[in-house]
Amino acid sequence: MNKEKIFAGIDAGHVRTKAVLVRGKEILGYGSAATGFDAVNAAQEALTRALEAAKVSRDDVAGIVSTGIFRDVVKALPIAVQRTVPEYMADAKGALFLNKNSRTVIDIGANVHKAVHYDKDGNLLDVIQNDKCADGVGIFYTTMAKALGVSEEGLSELALASTKQLSVAIHCAASAESEAIGLLCQGEEAADVADASLRFIVERVAAMASTMPLEQEVVVAGGLAKCKALMKHLPVLLKQDVTLLNLPEYVGAIGAAISYEGEK
Amino acid sequence: MSEHEYASVNEKLDWKKARVIVAGVDVGAVNSKTVILVDGQPYAVSQVATRAPKESALKVMNAALANTGLTQDKIQYTVGTGCGRTQVTFAQKTISEIVCGATGAVHVWGPSVRTVLDAGGQSCRVIHCTDKGKATGFLWNDKCAAGIGRSMEAFADLIKKELTEIGDIALQSEQFPKLSDFCSVYAQSEALDLMRTKVSPEEVITGYHRAMARRISTLVSRAGMKKDFVIIGGLAKNPAIVDALENTLKVHRLAPKPEWDPQVIVAFGAALIANAFHKRQG
Repeated sequence: MNKEKIFAGIDAGHVRTKAVLVRGKEILGYGSAATGFDAVNAAQEALTRALEAAKVSRDDVAGIVSTGIFRDVVKALPIAVQRTVPEYMADAKGALFLNKNSRTVIDIGANVHKAVHYDKDGNLLDVIQNDKCADGVGIFYTTMAKALGVSEEGLSELALASTKQLSVAIHCAASAESEAIGLLCQGEEAADVADASLRFIVERVAAMASTMPLEQEVVVAGGLAKCKALMKHLPVLLKQDVTLLNLPEYVGAIGAAISYEGEK
Repeated sequence: MSEHEYASVNEKLDWKKARVIVAGVDVGAVNSKTVILVDGQPYAVSQVATRAPKESALKVMNAALANTGLTQDKIQYTVGTGCGRTQVTFAQKTISEIVCGATGAVHVWGPSVRTVLDAGGQSCRVIHCTDKGKATGFLWNDKCAAGIGRSMEAFADLIKKELTEIGDIALQSEQFPKLSDFCSVYAQSEALDLMRTKVSPEEVITGYHRAMARRISTLVSRAGMKKDFVIIGGLAKNPAIVDALENTLKVHRLAPKPEWDPQVIVAFGAALIANAFHKRQG
């Protein structure tokens, strides 16, 4: 029987709420739910899914830590969150947990993207976050998938099939979407429009990240890290190698879970 | 978005007895629509989501033809319109949605119409026209206000509501937070952030609608308001947007016609123009 305590981390994001259970160096289970208008309910659901996946009872959880934009909202009962940590600290700790050689994590979320630089112990060295005009690149990704009539996974595959380099706006998601639709209407191939849309996301993320020195290894977190087409463009535009993490969308939740003990 | 896809047929008409059959196909940024006229009378109407515009044009035409026994080779003239009009490969002519919108609106609401607001998925246009439905001027949204219709769809998805219900929800709240009306990205971002405060969902949704309506009303004011005023396009079906627009502009739109879906007025205009071209051909 493993004597180490089990901790839960909840990352209450703009669009999805993620929960994870960690014991020592081991991830026992994870789950997520749409945040919607009820972050508390979403956190409950995500936690229940993680507990089911881990086959762990709620009573065996020694402590719960929340992070994410709605981290204070989910403190409400019945979740009984004992502690909260800011997103960038959770990102740093979670990324280091998943890859001990990492020093920079780029987190591409639904509404906010950021880059966090930290030392070998997970102490914060530098943080940068997108400006408001670049809000919502993750939501833009979902919108474009819908506009092109494919699933979110399908958008990545479609973009990888592109043979022609088109370009959409470089600053604003509203303009990019408008231009992408315009290109489609002019009869451009869906794959090329998909590729241009994803390159727009990467350009925005890269423009933000390159204002900060990116110390190796650079890892990528957030749901969009699972998109192969984005990961194809990111190292090119960053002029840096990037390493994929396992469970990229759970980096914040993992970082929260392992923040229960240690510095207060 | 299959709930937005439909086809309807006017069973009172018999195309087999008709002399002239024409069609208008409007390939919009979000939806494609077709109206088929039989001797000048609306016979079949359909709407499908726009994907690849070339295929969507064919798909919406086939949807209109389905269950009629009518085949495309019997259609004597087709006009393509909308942002994807060049992709309507089977059309004899393509005409701007501005011209088609004015023609359609005046035909549906009558010669008193002078200002048509076409509030669609990806763009908003204000069209001025004569009593004969001839467009005399227009104003297109700037880029920052692009995609209000589609943004509303994305917003409804994010908050797990139906596009068709958010307009009613937005009418329930007297109080609302003021959201950015310069940019739909800002408004969406602000709305998401507000959800974590004590502001109720109804108030957030109302604030979002008011912001979008302010954006549109600025465009209408800049173009100039001449009565009578009508609204066409998908947003004409959102009661909160219409209500806020009427309040800001201090003018009422002509009441919607129950027999006409405001989203197919441009396609109807295209079909009317197809009829005129066919007549001129003799």
